[in-house]
Amino acid sequence: MNRVPLWTGAALLAFGLSVFAWKILILGLPVLPSDAEGLWRVDLEITVRGTNRRGSVRTTLPSSGPGQTVFDEHSTSDRLNFTIREENGERSGVWSGRLTGVHTIGYGFRVQLEPFTVPIPPATDGAPLKAPEEVRERYARPVTNLGPDAPEVEGLLAALRVPPSDDRAAQLRLLYRFVADEIATAETGSSDPVLTLATREGNPEGKVDLLCALLRAVGIPARPVLGLRLESAQPVEPVVWAEAWIGGEWIPMSPTEGFFAQRPSSLLRLRTDADTLLETSGVSAETHRYTALRERLSSAEITAMMLPANPILERLSLYRLPVATQSVLRLILLLPLGALAVSLLRNVIGVPTFGTFMPVLIAYTLRATALGLGLALVGAVIALGIVGRLLLERLRLLLVPRLSILLCMVVLAATGLALAGAEFENRGLTGGVLFPMVILTMLIERFSVTLAEEGLREALTRAAWSTVVAVVVYPVFRSPLAEHLMFGFPELVVVVMGLLVWIGGYTGYRVSDLLRFRSLARGVEDLT
Amino acid sequence: MRWLRDLERMGILGINRRNADFTLRWNKRSLYPRVDDKLLSKRLCVEADIPVPRLLAVARRHFEIKQLPSQLANAADFVLKPARGAMGNGILVILGREGDRLLRPGGRTIEMGDVLYHAASIISGLYALGGHDDVAMVEERLKVHPVLREVATEGVPDIRVIVFRGIPVMAMTRLPTRRSDGRANLHQGAVGVGINIATGLTTHAILKNTPVRRHPDTKRPLLDLELPDFATTLEIAVRATDVTGLGYVGADVVVDATRGPVVLELNARPGLAVQLANRAGLEPRLLAVEQSWKPDMPVVERLALGRRLAVEHAPREDA
Repeated sequence: MNRVPLWTGAALLAFGLSVFAWKILILGLPVLPSDAEGLWRVDLEITVRGTNRRGSVRTTLPSSGPGQTVFDEHSTSDRLNFTIREENGERSGVWSGRLTGVHTIGYGFRVQLEPFTVPIPPATDGAPLKAPEEVRERYARPVTNLGPDAPEVEGLLAALRVPPSDDRAAQLRLLYRFVADEIATAETGSSDPVLTLATREGNPEGKVDLLCALLRAVGIPARPVLGLRLESAQPVEPVVWAEAWIGGEWIPMSPTEGFFAQRPSSLLRLRTDADTLLETSGVSAETHRYTALRERLSSAEITAMMLPANPILERLSLYRLPVATQSVLRLILLLPLGALAVSLLRNVIGVPTFGTFMPVLIAYTLRATALGLGLALVGAVIALGIVGRLLLERLRLLLVPRLSILLCMVVLAATGLALAGAEFENRGLTGGVLFPMVILTMLIERFSVTLAEEGLREALTRAAWSTVVAVVVYPVFRSPLAEHLMFGFPELVVVVMGLLVWIGGYTGYRVSDLLRFRSLARGVEDLT
Repeated sequence: MRWLRDLERMGILGINRRNADFTLRWNKRSLYPRVDDKLLSKRLCVEADIPVPRLLAVARRHFEIKQLPSQLANAADFVLKPARGAMGNGILVILGREGDRLLRPGGRTIEMGDVLYHAASIISGLYALGGHDDVAMVEERLKVHPVLREVATEGVPDIRVIVFRGIPVMAMTRLPTRRSDGRANLHQGAVGVGINIATGLTTHAILKNTPVRRHPDTKRPLLDLELPDFATTLEIAVRATDVTGLGYVGADVVVDATRGPVVLELNARPGLAVQLANRAGLEPRLLAVEQSWKPDMPVVERLALGRRLAVEHAPREDA
């Protein structure tokens, strides 16, 4: 290798690694994520357009309680006053003031979720467990049209042969099983408990309301609960479930999610008794969205990353950015690793691929879907490219419109996949739509141009190698360790640059050269 | 690792080394159009009195395509190709006419409409490097010299000469096969036959990286053939690379039955298979050129230097 690249690479490597070592050894930042289970950072971002009058935005804030510990809360108020109010043991945040133009306000927090189980007291010896007066007042009053005297309810309770009222636990189990097993769940079902009971089909809200109504009809206080589902690589969704009061405790259960007397660690509890998380007044338009990011570090480690013991680093810490920006940066910072892998495979091994970074982009898109499904999608796209070309060949169209028609076919195929995904309730297939369209079209274009220029064999060879490289790079994009290292220590990008300078300065044989010229080395006899 | 050491001892040039120390170093990016644009290379060669295939027609834009039939009315046979094509892609050869039908190699016939569609594809950039807009050009069809035609009955065999800083360092002739579909491209299955620059005799032959002795289609022997007019071939290859201003070039020369050697095209990134066809590494010769090179050497002296290097670094005979 030439001396200049050798030393340039070494200098970059030395710089990057010394910053890295300083942060780890002197500042004590965590090099390996301890991977705390169930630790999330959640942001709520609200945009409202005001009517030039006084108004307010009110949202429910999470509280610490069984199975969840909330900490590190912060808010942005954008010219409004922000206050936290407590009512009935629940907290809400209120932004108020004169609403003029567009206000972007937000609230963020970290939460440690843990699964928890509530033991149901055994059948009590004749003495019904009396709930306190205020609980009964609020949560035991019969629901309109579904009280104990309503004919449907009366008939149902008789048919179910609900045990006497001193065995609350048995009543609870029986009614829970009835709603969970006998009422179908359908997103298109009714949210009204009466209709849900009549048609034996309801959406999650309808089923939860029905369960609460039936429990109250036999005298058990019950209430619906609204929360969020936090899962890796899935959008945050509101979820409803129910809580019933027995033996001095609120017992969580869900007839749609299938948990009873326990709560899985993917659910964050927000509020009871209401089906909205946001109420506004004096507002002409409103949008809001929750984003969640699974933290791989323990809370102490996060503090160390957010507030390193150095004023410059403290300002540079990426952990202080908003969650949405962080998510994007976490991906972008992995790209250099992908590029490094491709450079190695191309310049040292000598693997033929489509373009330089097409494999990285394919790997990047595979992230969104499962690997097998993603590869099937890439295959489908390539097949589409071949078929499209064969069909379009006969029309004698010019290049750009022809490629544009291919793009239209990709769009139609993606639409078809999304429909099929919805039909079979397969989230992976629906993810095909997220499979970035531009990258697919570039792939088709590359493929069809290679097909035209160098024939099917060469095009398939390169497609196969591109896929192989993508599969090799793919685990990097899914690795929490790589994500933590690149995001927590962006100076490693400089290290990657140093390695790339070395690879770029490597003028030795590629593995492909060795294979190609092997007949010279072995002194193979000339053949006829 | 004996394998690796063998290659190093022979001075086999790898792709990384070729790119870093030869093409990147000696070929200025700004001069690439002189070789990538075949119309431009042709003009430069004509100005320098270097024989090239005659240009019959050019269509730069789609509306110019409809003039092609009248421009080609007197041409029985011709070759339609993209000015910026790579690796022999997008070349349409017409051997003759049968009434309204045009005869292609392999006995297929097409209509003038197909030719015009092909020209339109070329202009749209289907065959161009990077898919940019391109120019369709029509050239006379060369008649392959009988010595080479006897060996390879398909396509147009050519002679690839590697010229480094104006000195011919290695050469091979590329013979199309049925497998290569008439193209003189080694990775598409053409036969590569190494040439001793000093004598003009063929030395070794390869088909897809494997040594062979006979042409796969005609079964004619490939070794110890004397190439027709090889001295002129070398000379025009060297003079053609002079007009490009590039330092590391592959010049492709075709020996026409009547006109003798003509320069078909030039390549700023010539492949490395020439080393397999010659069973010799490029590196010792390239290094020797760097030592012996003097400014303003006349063509004759440079050809003599090339011949001397070929003798001094003759391929090993132990194979």
